[in-house]
Amino acid sequence: MKTRTLAIAALAVRFLTISVPLFAHHGTASYDTSKTVTVKGTVTDLQFTNPHVLLFLDVKDDKGNVQKWQGELTSPNHLERAGWTRTSLKPGDQITISGFPTKSGANSMFVSKVLQADGTPLNAGLGN
Amino acid sequence: MRNRLTYSILGLLLALAFTPLMFGQTAEKSDAAKTPTSTAEPNLSGVWNARPPANAKLPDLIAYFSSFGKAEPAMTPWAEATYKAAKPSFGPNSVTMEETNDPVYKCFPPGVPRVYLHPFPLQIIQIPGQVVMLFEYDHMVRHIFTDGREHPKDLDPTWMGNSIGRWEGDTLVVDTIGFNDKTWLDRVGHPHSDQLHVVERIRRTAQDTLQVDLNIEDPKAYTKPITSTMYFQLNPKWDIMEQVCMDNVSFLNFEKNEDVPAK
Repeated sequence: MKTRTLAIAALAVRFLTISVPLFAHHGTASYDTSKTVTVKGTVTDLQFTNPHVLLFLDVKDDKGNVQKWQGELTSPNHLERAGWTRTSLKPGDQITISGFPTKSGANSMFVSKVLQADGTPLNAGLGN
Repeated sequence: MRNRLTYSILGLLLALAFTPLMFGQTAEKSDAAKTPTSTAEPNLSGVWNARPPANAKLPDLIAYFSSFGKAEPAMTPWAEATYKAAKPSFGPNSVTMEETNDPVYKCFPPGVPRVYLHPFPLQIIQIPGQVVMLFEYDHMVRHIFTDGREHPKDLDPTWMGNSIGRWEGDTLVVDTIGFNDKTWLDRVGHPHSDQLHVVERIRRTAQDTLQVDLNIEDPKAYTKPITSTMYFQLNPKWDIMEQVCMDNVSFLNFEKNEDVPAK
């Protein structure tokens, strides 16, 4: 278990130093690359299909209301090469995601970082 | 004359003799560099992934996967007008996914050399008489004929062009013509015509590194050749996976909705 955690952390460090354009699939126009947004919430769904994996979260705001958030990741092909499977995140998992927010202001981001409940990162597959 | 015939038969026998070894080699995914497909031909086999320059900043990373060459290409008036009318999703003229008219988002083939810009790996498979490039991106294929043939005299224009290759020492020199004019040269909207002529010089500069020097000419579109170099990293543990462009279509329809679907 500890070895696996170390392996995931090592992958995350590698991703930070070797990166492929985040928007290599379809351009930058939808996302504001000058900002970073971070939300913490509960996974409600993971759509692990091409062209982009979609992650859905329920996020509680300061008032305690549930906001629905969407995170767009890279292709499942890249994520699998970074160690993901279709069940790496399951409904009920508590995670923190960070990334570039949409320009429209919707509860949506392009995910560059995923932290699990215990703080260990999941490689967001952007080095592959 | 008799000597030439003898050499041809010997060459053919040698090529056939190595074929079972070569296929076994590919299936085992062992160190591709050590087993050439013939006594003379360098080995470019393997699964390769485009590798941007180390320590590149984000704008340079994006440029590496958007277009070719460091500077804006020298365009003819036709190309300038066509470029202005394009609505790409990358580059200085980029628009949103809802507004783009880039043909790849309708799943038309990306063409050559644009296919190198789509960030999925490619597998090079060498068999006697041809080098095959299998691209993970929408399972595009290029057959580069190395059997000494010339381009056909009356070429039907195709999306990915007609490629012939010859070896110069350790370098595979690929000549591609016969393109239709339905693809974009790159992802930022630069056009090309059916006179596009692409020359690639491909060689293995290290066991795990492929260098591709591109020379792009198109007298209808550009007044000077466009040159560019791309590097590819060998990934011995990777397989080419499925990637179907039509998945984009349903995905993009979803993106138009602001609401997150209830599940």
